Amino acid sequence: MRKLFASIHKEFLLLINDKVGLLLMFMMPILLVFIITIVQDSTFKLVNDNNIEIIVVNKDKGGLGDSLSNLLASSGAFKITDRNKLSQKNIEKTLLGDDNLLALWIPENFSKQLTEKAKSVSTEMLSEFEIIDKASEVPQNPTKIILYYDPILQDNFRNSISGSIRSFLGALENRLMIEQLYEEMGFDEIPEKMEDKFFSNQVQIDQISANSSTGQAIPNSTQHNVPAWSIFAMFFMVISLGSNIVKERLSGSFVRLQTIPSSFSLVLLSKMCTYLFVALLQLTVIFALGKFVFPLIGLPTLSLPSNILGLFVISILSAFSAISFAMLVGTYAKTNEQANGFGAITIIILAAIGGIWVPTFVMPSYMQVIGNISPLHWCLEGYYTLFLKGGDWYLLAPTILFLILFILACQILIYSKLKIQNYI
Amino acid sequence: MTSVIELHSVSKKYAKSTRFSLEDISFSIKKGEKLGVFGPNGAGKTTLMSILCRIISETTGEVTYSDGNKNISNKAFLHTIGYVPQDFSFYPELSPYQNLRYFGTLYAIPKIELNTRIEELLSVLGLHHVMHKKIETFSGGMKRRVNLAIGIINNPSILFLDEPTVGVDVQSKNAIMAYLEELNKKGTTIIYTSHHMNEAEEFCDTIVLLDQGKLIVHDDLKSLIKQYNSTDLQALFLQLTGIEYRD
Repeated sequence: MRKLFASIHKEFLLLINDKVGLLLMFMMPILLVFIITIVQDSTFKLVNDNNIEIIVVNKDKGGLGDSLSNLLASSGAFKITDRNKLSQKNIEKTLLGDDNLLALWIPENFSKQLTEKAKSVSTEMLSEFEIIDKASEVPQNPTKIILYYDPILQDNFRNSISGSIRSFLGALENRLMIEQLYEEMGFDEIPEKMEDKFFSNQVQIDQISANSSTGQAIPNSTQHNVPAWSIFAMFFMVISLGSNIVKERLSGSFVRLQTIPSSFSLVLLSKMCTYLFVALLQLTVIFALGKFVFPLIGLPTLSLPSNILGLFVISILSAFSAISFAMLVGTYAKTNEQANGFGAITIIILAAIGGIWVPTFVMPSYMQVIGNISPLHWCLEGYYTLFLKGGDWYLLAPTILFLILFILACQILIYSKLKIQNYI
Repeated sequence: MTSVIELHSVSKKYAKSTRFSLEDISFSIKKGEKLGVFGPNGAGKTTLMSILCRIISETTGEVTYSDGNKNISNKAFLHTIGYVPQDFSFYPELSPYQNLRYFGTLYAIPKIELNTRIEELLSVLGLHHVMHKKIETFSGGMKRRVNLAIGIINNPSILFLDEPTVGVDVQSKNAIMAYLEELNKKGTTIIYTSHHMNEAEEFCDTIVLLDQGKLIVHDDLKSLIKQYNSTDLQALFLQLTGIEYRD
């Protein structure tokens, strides 16, 4: 044990002397997690906060334009900004220049056209039921409103907004049509009892997240970025650990160790222990930032999963995956430049395809398949399962299995190379 | 004198090589001997040293080790040897004290004994005043002395030195050679390679001369100079190995 402690102590001394490595392993991911979380936070809010900012330019001379605007506002899904003086040309300029992404143009004859359409439909219905005589058909101009959008908006998001407006418009038209029906039949207004039945008896949609725990974690920029950049930080230890191994080998320290009555496995074990501590420290620091510092600057707070043992297991396996990868690069690289260059580029690529920068679920399907080869993807999957899906062991099993296989494969390759080089 | 290492028809062929790096080498190293291993580049000196230190194994033949009385195991053998490679095989980011404490602990030297040994070695080699400074700030000569200190931290009875004075100033070379003489007087067997023929001639009492993996001569240095009617080791070296480049 004394030999192991001496080796670990030596590794720590080397580590604290590696200022660049420490900066890359701690400062870089801390900065990244701050910057990317702040940048992504607005995007996540746009999708998740049911409050989409929209400019309404209501030129309608009747009251239905206001009714539509009020319906949108009262739904809670939209935050309305009235800019009735804007011209159609200026709407486009406003969207391109300001932060607003959407604008709704309601034309000046909106109420008139909608009322005429409702009247026409109700008259036709009553004549079909032979309640009134068939009236002559009055040609109808199609009612049109215009939804302006910023070109950066994705199609699916724009379509869902358009769908929402259409449903509110539908409700407005239905009400108008029923009112017209009653009016044609000689009523001044819809009886209160019927009004409730017509407009309040809607089918409710309950939304349940597929989450095995009782708590409902909301996917937000923090829940994605904190584990994602923690994983990136762990894997970026390739710069420090990989070059540490290359340096020891090139300096001849490994050869000297062969002439000392001590196991070479001890050297490898001490490196693993040291860098396991580093990886867990990285996780603790970045998680603590998410939990305690993010809320202070207006970012969502990191909510920890209920399965703490699962969190520990995934963290340990992620750390060992990162350590094994770094050792593998260090063992096979012939020079420090190779270890640093190859290690850094590989991690950036594996991070990109593994969903660290952008979650894999927004990637095309073929990229999602390719992403499966990235160990960073599996580490992130483990954290997603813990943070967003309740962390059931059954759901964690594929991640755990992949990471164990990855670690084993790396260790076998490391052992083989060291055996060939006669160090073991 | 009793033999501490005996080589019996030792040959070595590396996996990717078409020729033998060492071929049918047989000789023995006596206890307390100062043996110089010489040869042109590519002669097989490093391969021979690596086999003797058990860094690599021989392809055919056998090497036996004894403590003077009986054959000993690999682990026991490693406790008895010290190895000073040509490269600076230590951690330059750390201090001499930290390096020596690390390597000394790997030899399982008890803590108090190790501290005494470190103090003693650093004093003798003129490094005590910089024992807590980072080695990366040292001169080449100081680094060589640290390299030597690590190689002898376990007080070895057999010491292997691969070019221990290459690239150092006269003062450091003097200090190193003087200390090696002192170690030898205390009974340490020294196996040494160098390209400094004058230094080697002064230091060694027996030489092994290799060329293209073959043993050319192994004998007492003075007898060889006399036998080949040479003026010194350098003349003998050129006489036996020729003047053509080997690399």
